[in-house]
Amino acid sequence: MVNLNTVKPRNGRNYYIALGLEGSANKLGVGVIKHPRLVSMSQGDNSHNCDVEILSNIRDTYVTPPGEGFLPRDTARHHRNWVIRIIKQALEKAEIKDPRLDIDVICFTRGPGMGAPLHSVAIAARTCSLIWDVPLVGVNHCVGHIEMGREITKAENPVVLYVSGGNTQVIAYSENRYRIFGETLDVAIGNCLDRFARTLKIPNAPSPGYNIEQLANNCKNKDRLIELPYTVKGMDLSMSGILAYIDSLAKDLFRGNKKNRLIFDRETGEPKITVEDLCYSLQENLFAMLVEITERAMAHVNASQVLIVGGVGSNTRLQEMMGQMCKDRANGRVHATDERFCIDNGVMIAQAGLLQYRMGDYVKDFSETVVTQKFRTDEVYVSWRD
Amino acid sequence: MTSPLATYSSPDITEKLFAVKEGNSRYSTTNGKTTGPSTYVLNAGQVDIDKPSDPRINPATQQPTTLSKLRMELTGMQDDINEFLTQRMEVAKNKKLKIQNTSEEKRIENEINELLDGGDGDDDEDAEDQKEKNTNAK
Repeated sequence: MVNLNTVKPRNGRNYYIALGLEGSANKLGVGVIKHPRLVSMSQGDNSHNCDVEILSNIRDTYVTPPGEGFLPRDTARHHRNWVIRIIKQALEKAEIKDPRLDIDVICFTRGPGMGAPLHSVAIAARTCSLIWDVPLVGVNHCVGHIEMGREITKAENPVVLYVSGGNTQVIAYSENRYRIFGETLDVAIGNCLDRFARTLKIPNAPSPGYNIEQLANNCKNKDRLIELPYTVKGMDLSMSGILAYIDSLAKDLFRGNKKNRLIFDRETGEPKITVEDLCYSLQENLFAMLVEITERAMAHVNASQVLIVGGVGSNTRLQEMMGQMCKDRANGRVHATDERFCIDNGVMIAQAGLLQYRMGDYVKDFSETVVTQKFRTDEVYVSWRD
Repeated sequence: MTSPLATYSSPDITEKLFAVKEGNSRYSTTNGKTTGPSTYVLNAGQVDIDKPSDPRINPATQQPTTLSKLRMELTGMQDDINEFLTQRMEVAKNKKLKIQNTSEEKRIENEINELLDGGDGDDDEDAEDQKEKNTNAK
């Protein structure tokens, strides 16, 4: 039986405080959370219902000019130069007076992600741990998303659709592991959308995916989809071909390539489609593929709930399409969170890390804090669930 | 407070010591020479808003605070280490390139020699021909 009260809070308190540091991509997030030490937590799997209190959730994003992606070196530099300032802000907002006494554990993202940015944040975590004499926990980024989503939505055992700039996975829990049922065979969905945004040269602030969503919302021809490849392969999917194809359409549109009859009218030479049409069709096509593999996973494990996590999970159209699918299934329900918790943040790392810490699993030697770019979701032993 | 030190060692270098050189201006700034934004992003129109904060000055002494002094010294040392490692990478790259070029030159020379010896440049076919000749001779 799971006992989440295995480790006692520091200094005789009846609650735990965790500091979470996230920096696996272009977002630098620092969050502070509080878990009360409830008796119910020692009597079985209540890991989705910790009564978490979010004391602070500060995020700073490295934004590049339109048409450009973020490079590891510059992203790492952003994190390195902001991390102390963001930690200070987070502690101040959480009213942490003395981190030496008030913080139980420091949680940081160990992977997966971009090597250099991960490294910057890990160094900050190690430094704080040494200065304050507080234990460390290295967290799998994907598990962070899942645990935060479960806690916020109270979904006990959902099929998880994890969609972000670096990952696209359909996950279900079984025997202490989050098992991957299906995933992308090439680029992640967020990467596909971001790269298309680069072709369109639309701004990267607040996020390229959000700007594509807004363009798609303004599409005036929602009844007329542009035909795109539909590449579901069993439980997996592929998106690089779709990206290459829609990129070529966009380039022909911008260049005014009248030979492309899909885009330009044969008679008048006027464009038949707009950038908004391209964005709408791309979203519909990609999201339909996601809904299909998620429904198949639900059928496999006989689940009725879906939890959408990751940056792309904040797309309201994806939530709507998933909701329609769930509605057609008996007792189906879709759970999603807003941008505060969907998009990478420090709180989610604190949540997953604190669960791990409460089970007595924390860093005993600094060699365990080495970050890793490749760290699959199913590599983590989920001791905090039955 | 003592200044920071760093050592580097590898199979070909027993020990390389990095230390703060007194009076050198690179140890009295938080803006390093090698730790700025990459030229690529600057050319793309990036405005650098991610600079490290300036050193904090103690109003009483009008000198940088202890932590700020440490930050400045580390910035200079980071430049030293980055330059050293970049140089080593260049050397390693040139060595690799030289080996590649040598092997490419050698391949071309072999091919020319082979052609001069009457071959047609197709190694596999030549080998087959030779094998057939040997069989017939038996």
